[in-house]
Amino acid sequence: MLKINNLNAKIDKKIILNNFSLNINPGEVHAIMGPNGSGKSTLSNILSGKKGYDVTGEILYENKNLFELETEERAHKGIFLAFQYPLEIPGVNTNIFLKTSLNAIRRANGEKELDAIEFLNLVKEKAKNLKFEEEKLNRQLNVGFSGGEKKKNEILQMSILNPKLSILDETDSGLDIDALRIVADGVNSLRKKNNSFLIITHYQRLLDYIKPDFVHVLINGKIIKSGGPELALELEKKGYENFN
Amino acid sequence: MREQLVTDFDKIISDSNFSKKDIELKRISLDKFIEDGFPTKKKEDWKFLDINRAIEKNIGELDFYNDYSFQNKIDTSYFVKGLEHNKIVFINGRIEKIDFKSEDSNKIEIIEESNLSNKFNNINSLINLNNAFANKNYKINVKENYSLKKPLIVYHLTSNKIYKKNINLRLDFKLESNSSLRLIDYFEDDSKDNFINIFYNFDLEKDSSLKNYKIDHKDNKNVKYSFNNIDQKENSISETFILSSGSSFFKNEVNCDLNGKYSSAFVNGIFKLEDFKNHEIKTNINHLTENTKSYQLIKSVLGEGSKAAYQGKISVNSIAQKTDGYQLSKCILLDKTSEFNAKPELEIYADDVKCSHGSASGSLNEDSIFYLMSRGINYEQAKELLINGFLLDVIEKITDSETKNLIKNTLGLKE
Repeated sequence: MLKINNLNAKIDKKIILNNFSLNINPGEVHAIMGPNGSGKSTLSNILSGKKGYDVTGEILYENKNLFELETEERAHKGIFLAFQYPLEIPGVNTNIFLKTSLNAIRRANGEKELDAIEFLNLVKEKAKNLKFEEEKLNRQLNVGFSGGEKKKNEILQMSILNPKLSILDETDSGLDIDALRIVADGVNSLRKKNNSFLIITHYQRLLDYIKPDFVHVLINGKIIKSGGPELALELEKKGYENFN
Repeated sequence: MREQLVTDFDKIISDSNFSKKDIELKRISLDKFIEDGFPTKKKEDWKFLDINRAIEKNIGELDFYNDYSFQNKIDTSYFVKGLEHNKIVFINGRIEKIDFKSEDSNKIEIIEESNLSNKFNNINSLINLNNAFANKNYKINVKENYSLKKPLIVYHLTSNKIYKKNINLRLDFKLESNSSLRLIDYFEDDSKDNFINIFYNFDLEKDSSLKNYKIDHKDNKNVKYSFNNIDQKENSISETFILSSGSSFFKNEVNCDLNGKYSSAFVNGIFKLEDFKNHEIKTNINHLTENTKSYQLIKSVLGEGSKAAYQGKISVNSIAQKTDGYQLSKCILLDKTSEFNAKPELEIYADDVKCSHGSASGSLNEDSIFYLMSRGINYEQAKELLINGFLLDVIEKITDSETKNLIKNTLGLKE
């Protein structure tokens, strides 16, 4: 599904990703763990098409060159990024935003757009599963939401859009234990044969709830070790500094 | 220009049946206008929008004479649909229709005024021009304790029959005590290169309420000036909202005299401009007695070489204790070619007052656009969502829900 080969990324001549390679197959859950500044967020930004990076190397998504796709086209083709810091958008109603987003993706894929009632039924069901207060959906997008609510809103969007490749950028940071469990349940319920996940995190904690197939350790823009879930536990014990 | 003015003026006088006294007053206004000419940048109040240059550059020689002997056909397709309303229809400056069908006829008095008052001499040269050339003056009296059931829409329609003309319109409104009026000015131009000069005077008696919404949305190449003078007695409320978008040049001026205790004035507006348009809102809020309140919020979205200016002045008289005055302007500049100027002025002579002002300009937040695009929304749509979101809070200030919906629809804001 996703093949990253020798990806290098720079901002203002500062090297952030250094010969980074990763291969994700359909249905797999990969976790990338790394300390602050190791390039985790840059990776998720580049995958979803944020501008401002000098990039070399190759990213293939479903065997196509990802760099040829604009940000919104990547979303149309099933890439979803749950933001580390979801943005507050004043004046934009959450429901309207969700509907605009869902219908833009459906339209791009030649599917019928949902009308107001179909949409509300869908969003109600998904919100309920995530214990997301329905009343918040009528508020301005993320404005006045707590950190946890913003993260839940990301997972809500993910569950509505039902992407093929979900990238979770430190979704666990800022969540209390209950919220963490709800978010993890949300992710687990989306795990299917064809849906893949890339989970970016500092801590092993989230991986107690979402069991990854592979764990990669990212330090200084490079994966220095890959393994199974046990790698996360080892990492937690030793810390990043002593890990080599 | 002088000769043209004098010839055109004489033609108008011979066409009409103004009283001798009116003609005399009109001539004084004409002479004064001839002396001053159109306002230029040299005048502090006009430094952001030089109307003299706008006329010279975009129109050239203006014709001040309009033949009002022929009736224009009213094209009803211009009328606002889905909102029952009273109407005054101006076509090319000529009043074609006054219709208060929805109201109790003995509660509204329409007077064709002949006695000009010289109260409004020398406010500025454009008012002098208006006084000299306005064809007919109508005064609309809303009787005490009467609230109009439906809004009044004043249609400002122009057709391609007029070109390089100066049109002067004048309306007077008196709201007797405890009465209320919702007044929508709706501009639709199919003409170009004209200068349209509008002067409204409002007398708001005790406990009365005026809501005036101005909608200039359709693209056109006319130059416009509108002056609202609002005189407010005790406990009266005025709410003005200006959607400033369609014309090439438009300066809206609002002068509000808060003469009575507990009177309040709200002036809110939107500039939505592109294509080198140049618009301005200038307000003068005069707090003249104690316990009065004013609130102003102006939001702008500017692109493609357009310019907007907001000059907001709050004056607090030395006896006007407990004044509450507020103004804020915010602007999004869509590119480097557009420009926003804010000139807030507070002139305070009383000591127990609460007054504040603020202004901020910036560009659209790229991170917000990226966030929306990462959800499958394309760049144009993302931009539109952010712009509409930015404008929403000033639209929410419109207290009349029917008009609020009309303006939302006009701007293409979806529910």
